[in-house]
Amino acid sequence: MKVQYKAKRNLLQTILQVEILQGLALTLRKLFSRPITRQYPDEKPPMYAGFRGQHALVRDPLTNASKCIGCMRCATVCPSRCIHIKTHPGDSGQRLIDQYAIDVLRCVFCGYCVEVCPVGAITMTEVFEYASYDREAIYFDQEILLANWDRFLEQTGYDDTYVNPFWRPRGTLESRLAAAMRRDVPADWTIEGQFVGTKVRQPPASKPITDTEAAHA
Amino acid sequence: MQILILLLQIAMVMAIVLLHVAYLTYFERKIIGHMQVRMGPMRVGWHGLLQPIADGIKSFFKEDIIPQQADKPLFLAAPIICLVTMLAALAVLPFAEGWVLADINIGLLFIFAMSSLASYGIILAGWASNSKYTFLGGMRSMAQVISYEIPMGLSLVGVMMLSGSLNLSEIVAAQGTSIFSIYLFPQIIGFFVFFIAMLAETNRVPFDLPEAETELVSGYITEYSGMRYAMFFMAEYIGMMILASIGTVCFLGGWNGPFVIPFFPPFWFILKVYGFLFVFIWIRATLPRYRYDQLMAIGWKLLIPLALLNIFLTGLFKALVH
Repeated sequence: MKVQYKAKRNLLQTILQVEILQGLALTLRKLFSRPITRQYPDEKPPMYAGFRGQHALVRDPLTNASKCIGCMRCATVCPSRCIHIKTHPGDSGQRLIDQYAIDVLRCVFCGYCVEVCPVGAITMTEVFEYASYDREAIYFDQEILLANWDRFLEQTGYDDTYVNPFWRPRGTLESRLAAAMRRDVPADWTIEGQFVGTKVRQPPASKPITDTEAAHA
Repeated sequence: MQILILLLQIAMVMAIVLLHVAYLTYFERKIIGHMQVRMGPMRVGWHGLLQPIADGIKSFFKEDIIPQQADKPLFLAAPIICLVTMLAALAVLPFAEGWVLADINIGLLFIFAMSSLASYGIILAGWASNSKYTFLGGMRSMAQVISYEIPMGLSLVGVMMLSGSLNLSEIVAAQGTSIFSIYLFPQIIGFFVFFIAMLAETNRVPFDLPEAETELVSGYITEYSGMRYAMFFMAEYIGMMILASIGTVCFLGGWNGPFVIPFFPPFWFILKVYGFLFVFIWIRATLPRYRYDQLMAIGWKLLIPLALLNIFLTGLFKALVH
């Protein structure tokens, strides 16, 4: 079989070098098109829900302190071991937090800590401009993390109803969430609005989906 | 007194040309940026207008690094040879009727001599840096310049035959003031050969093999830094402007235009040169680099026969007309 790699040109096209002229026409046309550059420090990029930015500890409006219960799940799941938690038992047996610190320089921004938290205490905000000249400034302890949350709400205009998509991983049934995580979410985060990969996972239409089925699926 | 006036004129031409070099880099970055749907320099001054000045100041204060194993005198001399020869070639360019520093009778030959000398600077830079990349760049430049000087000279022989002069002002005068009497039309083959050889002479895309940043880091200027690097850069851009001026003078009718602009006779000349420079930049934004054997094949197998054919046809035409 004879493979023709190039389109055939006749003599006139060879003399006039049509391909080069086509290329020149394209670049000339693009010269007058609108640049797609975003002038970054002046124009901020649009932020989308689920952006994994600066870490924050959610301030509980009831207690005005962190929601953290010291369960150590985030420190356990963290692949880079950058979360350091120290607790001591309180009077009624609950754990009281002595230290909650994130070494952001080691963080890989995977978001597992946010996903695994049963009470939605830790979150990743949409803030990404917090570079610093010294390492101490990006070692976040509890006070800084709470302050991050306050600043995030102040800057973006969210209120306490803010929900992070990581608090409800895709395809999770509401009944499988911890009680503290059952919050109002936008419609496209619910199981009907979600799909994994390219296949939409539709619950069977005839009977309501149950927990055991979801576990098998 | 006359010498003083001449010195003043030289200083003016140099200042204007160097300013043009600075802003040519700006327009190159802008145009290529917009052709690639970017914006180009935007931060220094309004739309980056002060960028070339910032670049100039920066390169002036940068450390001048000389490699330990370099051939020091040659290493220091090479950029100066490049720049001085290119600047010397400016002397014979007629910007308008009588607006020429040295109206010599061998103007065209003088420019060829100077641009050949400038390639000595490139070759010496490649040799003196004592580095593999610069040496390869210098070798490539040598081969390329030798290959393309010939078709370039031959392509202009047709112009010389038609005008009967090597003096650039007389070549312009021989073309008359009408747009239909410029040499572009009778010398279309010559212009084609000249244009391609011009791209190769100035080491511009698609013939930028001596610099070839994807293969040779930066070719013959790899080891240079600071002001010496800037001198090579200036020489390259002045070379672009000189060859654009020759193209304007020999093929596009020099300073003659559709109508006379009062108080500023070089208007049409400058406009045509800008047109050439835009095409230089436009081609750089469009074409990829030729392979080395293709470059040689185009030079020796296509351009030289075409230029010879052009000389033959021009001679035939002259013989038949007279």
